[in-house]
Amino acid sequence: MSYYLRKFGFYLVALWAAVTLNFFIPRMMPGDPVDILMAKLQQRGSGVDPSARRAYELLLGTHTDEPLIKQYIAYLGNLVRGDFGVSVSDFPTPVSTVIATSLPWTVALVGIATVLAVLSGIVLGVFVGWRRGTWLDSLVPATTVLSAVPYFWLALVLVAGLGSGLGWFPLLGGYDVVLNPGWHADFLGSALYHGFLPALTIVISSIGGWLLGTRNMMVSATAEDFVLTARAKGLRERRIMIWYAARNAILPSIAGFAISLGFVVAGSIVTEQVFAYPGIGSKLLQAVQNNDYALMQAIFLVITVAVLAANLAVDLLYGIIDPRTRTGG
Amino acid sequence: MTNLSPDMLPAEPGNGLRNLLPRWSAKLAVGSVLILAITLFGLAGPLLVGDPDRIDNIGLTAPGAGHLLGTTQTGQDVLAQIAYATRGSLYIGVLVGVLATVLSVLFGIVGAYAGRAIDETFSLFSNVMLVIPGLPLVIVISAFVPPERRGTWTIALVLAITGWAGSARVLRAQTLSVRGREYVLAARVAGERPARVIGVEILPNLLPLLASQFVFSVIAAILAEAGLSFLGLGASSSSTLGTMLYYAQNGFALQRGAWWWFVPPGLIIALFGCGLALVNFTIDEIVNPTLRRPRRPIPTVARPSTGPAPDTGDDVVLSLTDVSVTYQGERPVQAVREVSLALRRGEILGLAGESGCGKTTLAYAITRLHRPPAQVTGGSITFHDRVEGTLDLLALAPEQLRAVRWAKLSMVFQGAMNALNPVLTIRAQMVDVLTTHRPAMSRAARRARCAELLTLVGVDPRRLLSYPHELSGGMRQRVMIAMALLLDPQIVILDEPTTALDVLVQRGILQEIMRLREQLGFAVLFITHDLPLLLEVADRIAVMLDGRIVEYAPAEEIRDHPRQPYTRRLLDSFPSLTGERGAFVRSGGTS
Repeated sequence: MSYYLRKFGFYLVALWAAVTLNFFIPRMMPGDPVDILMAKLQQRGSGVDPSARRAYELLLGTHTDEPLIKQYIAYLGNLVRGDFGVSVSDFPTPVSTVIATSLPWTVALVGIATVLAVLSGIVLGVFVGWRRGTWLDSLVPATTVLSAVPYFWLALVLVAGLGSGLGWFPLLGGYDVVLNPGWHADFLGSALYHGFLPALTIVISSIGGWLLGTRNMMVSATAEDFVLTARAKGLRERRIMIWYAARNAILPSIAGFAISLGFVVAGSIVTEQVFAYPGIGSKLLQAVQNNDYALMQAIFLVITVAVLAANLAVDLLYGIIDPRTRTGG
Repeated sequence: MTNLSPDMLPAEPGNGLRNLLPRWSAKLAVGSVLILAITLFGLAGPLLVGDPDRIDNIGLTAPGAGHLLGTTQTGQDVLAQIAYATRGSLYIGVLVGVLATVLSVLFGIVGAYAGRAIDETFSLFSNVMLVIPGLPLVIVISAFVPPERRGTWTIALVLAITGWAGSARVLRAQTLSVRGREYVLAARVAGERPARVIGVEILPNLLPLLASQFVFSVIAAILAEAGLSFLGLGASSSSTLGTMLYYAQNGFALQRGAWWWFVPPGLIIALFGCGLALVNFTIDEIVNPTLRRPRRPIPTVARPSTGPAPDTGDDVVLSLTDVSVTYQGERPVQAVREVSLALRRGEILGLAGESGCGKTTLAYAITRLHRPPAQVTGGSITFHDRVEGTLDLLALAPEQLRAVRWAKLSMVFQGAMNALNPVLTIRAQMVDVLTTHRPAMSRAARRARCAELLTLVGVDPRRLLSYPHELSGGMRQRVMIAMALLLDPQIVILDEPTTALDVLVQRGILQEIMRLREQLGFAVLFITHDLPLLLEVADRIAVMLDGRIVEYAPAEEIRDHPRQPYTRRLLDSFPSLTGERGAFVRSGGTS
């Protein structure tokens, strides 16, 4: 039980660190984001709403003499209520609404692509590691090329080849804009069709790391004594491979999920930009380009929370598949 | 284990320092060539190509004689731009690589060395930094820095701050393991300053890992910078491969089919990253030698067909005739030389010798568990089965061999070895023997059989649902014995079954084995370096030295009239019942 408690505690600390980082970064940086935002609001023809100014100040810092700790507490309060102010680039939509409409796209895209990449990478890695010394070894250096390719460049090449070159896939967007978003077959089909290339980009770029990591652990696991015992027991190769070697080899891969997920998230933000995908990565850039600091900060927090949640889920899974975590330190 | 004479161990070719040197391979060659070529291009290229900003063309010319890689939308030479951009990307990559490595050394190595509260704090900090997504954080920070103040150093610093945590974690784990080693402890006890211990004793051991983490940081930094610049958030007025792609994207290179503009920059990043990763393979192989490939494929079967030994009618269950096992390599090492032994039904045959004398190699060869580069190069191993008659173990097809293993001949490995799978319950590891060898058995019968065996070796059957790490060393060894008896085998090979256990537990387990042998009637091949112990339990004893059997006689004869001086030395090297210690161990030497 202490394993789970420690994990929950750790992610609470990480969440608090991210929230606090988010509070201090704009305050430490040069420039006056609140004034920039208020000027933008006025350009949009909105009156100077004191409550909007207050929300921005809590998020980004203020010149008043209000003690930092009071600002901090009020900032936390606004976060809990989901009040991030109004987006100036999507004026007058509240930041929370902008996020609510774009987040599902990214979660679906990154989620499905990551699950596909992890599963196929691990399965291939197990197989290549088990069959060491055969021609499959030559696959290993090839995967390094894939993992060294910048995501967005791969996206550009895929669009150039499969999109504009062969015309198999649409170049841009998350769905056919003539359709009405909703849970009906036309729209879902269109979303899948549009999401194929972005997902392919993520899968191709991240599969190599999983393959290589699992393969190396598989090679180490095959040299373990319990695999020798399994052989001596006269078990069938398939059973030894899956339940003795692979079952142990995948543990470090899963424990290293946090690092990989960081890369996937980074890659998908830039990939979304290439495809003009209606996800949260595109919104983050839109926010940056328009000095929409409120939206930017909120998106950073949302991405962080999503990543922390994914890591927590994986850690909980790890607790289930590695019995050693459940007992003892 | 008492390593009586290290000079008798087969010398592995390339031991010691040579293991720290990279081994030349195709991967290393291709990787080095890629890195050198691209670095050279980044360093010297800008001197050879023209001004990357000069406009001397109407724009978007396809590659041709005037412009080897064509021109951009505004008519600049793509090749010239790439040369400068490569230099920019490499510069920032190395800069971040160095900064991030320094940070990870600080938080990983120093923290782990200092231990306690500092380690806890540093480790928590690294782990928090690790789970906070890096690029979004970098984007947010760069967005707050006004473009005119966003220099290369600012970007490098931000990338380093968000990119060191993964390396720190790896280095910390390694430092923790190095820190406990004897020479480090010795240096600390001798009162050397921490900085010196870290610098002289710890860092050199971490060098390969540090190199690998540095390489990894450089790749990650080049990729991250490219992404950042592609988004228009890179260092202002800098020129990197990422900014080139930014201009290409905003100049609609894609829509206009100007592949020569956006393909080469990405390709250079990919090739450079690939080169670094290939070099990293070599570093990984230094860090983790199991990843190394055997130099030459070793033929699987190359054994002279001596044929099975005839059944002598002497109630022999296993006979070995002139068995030789060789470790193939540049200098082949013959670990077992022409060994002949006979194991009778129900008898305990002891095989004694020092570590490295070849006794474990021989045991593995009997069930063909030896792994390349070990190879049986001669002789025959014959199993005289109660039912099926004579079986030539070395000639069995893989599926036949699999069926023979454990059913007729099972093994108990050294207690110190982690012979049990850490992630399966005891029951799962016992039951899978039955599901494989006795498919007709019902689920309930399988479980009952496992419980019965555990009870037989004196372990509470409730332990069936435990995992190996929840059991003590002695209990684990009892479980292994129970597992070995599951299928009622005719032979059980015990390979140093009690070596890692304390004396009391050792006693208990030995008595258990003797009792079970009486009860079930299996034959035992008992392998140990402890000859006095064999005198107590074995019927006959073979003494092995340097791969050969030098003495083979009934136990009483070995005890009362050892013929070989070596046997006498082995007898004397253990504390006898009177508590005297032999001269052999004390002098620590041999021959």
